[in-house]
Amino acid sequence: MLGGAARVNTLSRASEPVAPERAVQSSPDSYYGRPILKPHVWTPFVPWYFWIGGTTGAACVHGLIARIRGDDELAEVQRWVAFGGIVTSPVLLILDLGVRHRFLNMLRVFKPTSPMSVGSWVLSALGAAVTGSLVADKVLGAPALARVCDVAAAGLGPVLTTYTAVLVSNTATPVWHEAHAELPLVFASSGIAGAGACATAFAPAAQRRSARRMMIAGAIAMGVTAREMEKRLGVLGEPYSRGTAGAFKRASSMLALSGVALALIGRSSTLANRVAALLVAGAGVCERFAVLDAGKQSAEGPKYVVHQQRETLQNGERKPLR
Amino acid sequence: MELFEPTAASAEVATYGERAQPRKGFFTDTTLCIGCKACEVACKEWNQLPADGYAFTAQSYDNTGELNGTTWRHVAFVEQPQKSRWLMESDVCKHCTHAACLDVCPTGALVRTEFGTVIVQEDVCNGCGYCVPACPFGVIDKRPEDGHVGKCTLCYDRLRDGETPACAKACPTESIQYGDLDDLRRRADERLEKVRADERFTDASLYLRGPDDGIGGAGAFFLLLDRPEVYGLPPDPVDTTRDLGKMWRRAAYAMAAIVGTIALCSVGPRA
Repeated sequence: MLGGAARVNTLSRASEPVAPERAVQSSPDSYYGRPILKPHVWTPFVPWYFWIGGTTGAACVHGLIARIRGDDELAEVQRWVAFGGIVTSPVLLILDLGVRHRFLNMLRVFKPTSPMSVGSWVLSALGAAVTGSLVADKVLGAPALARVCDVAAAGLGPVLTTYTAVLVSNTATPVWHEAHAELPLVFASSGIAGAGACATAFAPAAQRRSARRMMIAGAIAMGVTAREMEKRLGVLGEPYSRGTAGAFKRASSMLALSGVALALIGRSSTLANRVAALLVAGAGVCERFAVLDAGKQSAEGPKYVVHQQRETLQNGERKPLR
Repeated sequence: MELFEPTAASAEVATYGERAQPRKGFFTDTTLCIGCKACEVACKEWNQLPADGYAFTAQSYDNTGELNGTTWRHVAFVEQPQKSRWLMESDVCKHCTHAACLDVCPTGALVRTEFGTVIVQEDVCNGCGYCVPACPFGVIDKRPEDGHVGKCTLCYDRLRDGETPACAKACPTESIQYGDLDDLRRRADERLEKVRADERFTDASLYLRGPDDGIGGAGAFFLLLDRPEVYGLPPDPVDTTRDLGKMWRRAAYAMAAIVGTIALCSVGPRA
């Protein structure tokens, strides 16, 4: 089994005895089944951030549209969702760092070739916009300034929701890089569903309609785009049905389905809507965890790396980079 | 689009102006490797890297296992009884022409030196870990000991004093050759011709000699006797940053979809 062989990766650090089945001869397609690539080293703070950041971005867009429509209570809810998001996000990201007190080095340079650098700046700017809007409205009493901030936040929001897909796609991990066409759509759907779920849970019943629609449409779109992605990945998409990623994937589908069903059945019930919101939010979180673990399995399995690269070579698709 | 193009060694070295040096590298000729691991030891010794522990992998003579944050040379042992041969190869950071780790590093901790090599500035790196899955060779890794990443520096400190890197200095068979990359490539071409003349080694090839691969060639390249994956090397490594424009375009569609979907969901008379 792939998972078993992959764990050999940590052997050089651990001094545990070797199980006899590992004492195999080097097979023609790999070096003792050892990983060719290093799996990502991100902690669970990162998939949580992916979900929270994605939700925050979509909430900024929804907040502005609600404000324009005059759904002020809904706009207020999304403003606080976004504020919660931009306060939590940096904390999660800093907790993931290996040298936490150097977190400010993220803003040491601006590097267009690094989606993480771009994302750090976008998160900072969005944080300033969301906080600025709150301060302008509640402290300074300057609604015009607040609206300017809202527009800026709504402009940056979609970038925050999708850049994380570009971030993981720009790695050597086959299941991520080969899905660079679909991953942004998966993350966008999950962000819409997340923002919809938050507003469904907290907005007054009279202004809940758009949030409910977002929650339902987002959850369905997430399922459809993720399935499309896995289908197109073929063999490379295998990790999504195996191990931890497979479990998260199944949980995500079940949560999304039950959430959508409950939201449709209990349309006018606040309790039913709130439970549905929780289920859909959970589905989004599980999807992010599935993506992260699939990446780990994909990098640890030399067969995925060799399979994909040999195929590129055989099809004459190798593009030189001089 | 050009904003997202991966940067190349030559352009980066040029920023050093007068201090720019001819690009340095390693040519590792695996036909000469005897698997003594002197390179591994010399590297640990010079760079003051912690030991790997006493693990027994039962994978031939390889008890090091892999390159990681504190192991910067790794000798691979491939037993091929059916071909009556035993392949050995000392692996190392490739110091790519288009270095994925350097491209994705958000802090600027990873830099190109005046010698065209790639190093981590350990006092800048904040351990975000992005370079780890980005490296197409699985070389760079986070160090649990201090939280930042680590990899071969091609002995940057020794190079600045005009010295040979520790591993090449210690190699008793000149399997690891250090020098100006242009010279090494010339030497490697000659060597390949000689090796291939022997009918046992007609499969021999130069791996990452460049510039026609997905990383634009490497500063550290190899003469291999079998396919790269046999040694645990990727057959077609790519600096994925070359596709970054395409990726952002897909993200832009998704961004438009977010705005469109939320706007559509908001349509309708107010309650």
